Amino acid sequence: MNKRKIVIEPVTRVEGHGKVTIKMNENGEVDDAFLHIVEFRGFEKFIQGHPYWEAPVLVQRLCGICPVSHHIAAAKAIDQLVGVDPENLSPTATKLRKLLHYGQVFQSHSLHFFYLASPDLLFGINAPAEKRNIVAVAESNQELAKKGILMRKFGQEIIKALAGKKIHGILAVPGGVHKTFTKEEREYFLDGKQIPNVDTMIEWSKEIIDFMKTYHTDNAEWIDNFAKYPSNHLGLVDQETGALELYDGRLRSVDSEGNELLNIEDIEYSYHFKEAVEPWSYLKFPYMTKYGREKGWNRVGPLARLNTCSHINTPLAEIERQIFKLYTQNKPNNMTMHTHWARLIEMLHCAELMKELLLDDELMGDDLVREGTPRNKGIGIIEAPRGTLIHEYHTDDKGLITKCNLIVSTTHNNEAMNRGVRSVAQNVLNNKPEITEPMLNQIEIAIRAYDPCLSCATHALGQMPLIVQLEDSKGNIIDEKVR
Amino acid sequence: MKKLDKTLIIGIGNNTRKDDGLGWCFLDILEEKGYNSDNLLCKYQLMVEDAEIIADYNTVIFIDACKNQLKNGFLIEEIFPAEQVTFSTHAVPPNQILNLCETIYNKTPKAYVIKIEGFKWNIEIGLSEQATQNLNNALNHFEQYFFSELVN
Repeated sequence: MNKRKIVIEPVTRVEGHGKVTIKMNENGEVDDAFLHIVEFRGFEKFIQGHPYWEAPVLVQRLCGICPVSHHIAAAKAIDQLVGVDPENLSPTATKLRKLLHYGQVFQSHSLHFFYLASPDLLFGINAPAEKRNIVAVAESNQELAKKGILMRKFGQEIIKALAGKKIHGILAVPGGVHKTFTKEEREYFLDGKQIPNVDTMIEWSKEIIDFMKTYHTDNAEWIDNFAKYPSNHLGLVDQETGALELYDGRLRSVDSEGNELLNIEDIEYSYHFKEAVEPWSYLKFPYMTKYGREKGWNRVGPLARLNTCSHINTPLAEIERQIFKLYTQNKPNNMTMHTHWARLIEMLHCAELMKELLLDDELMGDDLVREGTPRNKGIGIIEAPRGTLIHEYHTDDKGLITKCNLIVSTTHNNEAMNRGVRSVAQNVLNNKPEITEPMLNQIEIAIRAYDPCLSCATHALGQMPLIVQLEDSKGNIIDEKVR
Repeated sequence: MKKLDKTLIIGIGNNTRKDDGLGWCFLDILEEKGYNSDNLLCKYQLMVEDAEIIADYNTVIFIDACKNQLKNGFLIEEIFPAEQVTFSTHAVPPNQILNLCETIYNKTPKAYVIKIEGFKWNIEIGLSEQATQNLNNALNHFEQYFFSELVN
């Protein structure tokens, strides 16, 4: 048998444009597999020379799915440029930003679960391509589709109320926020007259977790073992208690057995991380300096966050976390497909947090902006829906940006996604005489579990059709499929 | 005020990309002319959740810029739910939104697409001269013939 190479390009139902190459040897065994990120736009470069206060507005154009995350991470960094640390922001500004952030995580997780991941779960990995989409989900389970749409809508309405519009709105300004919340806006989310209220969001989040748990019980064999591999896990945790933290906290990393690898102030990140590059991808490979390129990489996102935190500080999500943790006897969970389960627990957590904030009168305060002594460096780190998001800016004395470094969640997950692709490729493609579509779909499912935002990671949007090319050992295309 | 009873007009596009702003400009002018702004909606692209929005209306009109050459610079056509649906979170075509609306909400509003030919797509606010002419032609036709049919 000739040596051959299989290319999946682009990968579908992820945000952006990726390509997978699987190299096979003369015996038909998988030699290696790569997820290439082939987009490039270079936000870090062209933001240079712009005034610092433009950053929270400019950088959210990285993405149409998670602009709020970039807006908030940039705002946290810019706060420091005007001399305001997170603890010195006014309580009202902090709470308004948090509400915006939780609305964002809630809508993004809803989008991923209902629109992108649920077809794989409902119809299985062998379902034909035309069935693996939201319409087929709607035909099969109308109520699930309706709830998915309304849950995403709730998060988007929170964003619209605070930032003015659902995509690319503005709430944060240097040192605070530019608007407060009104009683009327609050009632919209509490009274349930125009949209299902926040209590309904909590109820539906619990229902979806129950759906996931039942699904897991029925399909434990593949959910537990698909693309499973040991890794380190990274996430923010509460400064004092170690609880799950999405807005501001310490960076904590544990290994696959639960041993602590890192527990640092978030603004110290640059002393502990480096980024490697590979010639076949625009996406960098971050790793913890102390442990090196091979052993120092982390997974980030919902699964990693549940592995790094000590507990969750909302009651219903904490109950679900305990059930989740019991399955691995409180050890870190390295089962990639359990990321979906973890994501749903976070949705419940966000719904509870949104309710808590909506009932807090301080949300309607008027102490919105604080000032301090300007500095030339600011670092903002949050937990975005897909994982740890880092923004760092340096300015000159005129306030113009001289340097910018963005490490987005998908970049942290780069090595993890490559390992996932390799693991699945070796399981499903070794010694197979024919490459079938379900086999290729399994490769995509392994990537999709991370909800990668390739647009964010390299900052470009892409096309979505799938092209599969088979190449012989000399690089000649011997077969091609387009769907 | 000109009422658009149970009719929703959706302008699709991006006004910072030159003629891609045609859909939004169409709506801006309707608003200036006194059409009820509650029935006008600007979108960068259509998304799955728009199926829920259009389910509340009897008629939906999608207005978008078009790269293809069109006779008179615009084209109005009735559309129907797509038979097959593909999915991307970046954009969903109008006929697929109709399909989703039918599948999820058991509603099928009457639907039209107004395509307006554009020429320039660079990063700049403001329509090209030719696109502006096409926009005016499309608006005149809409008001003289199409709108009166809708309200009658």
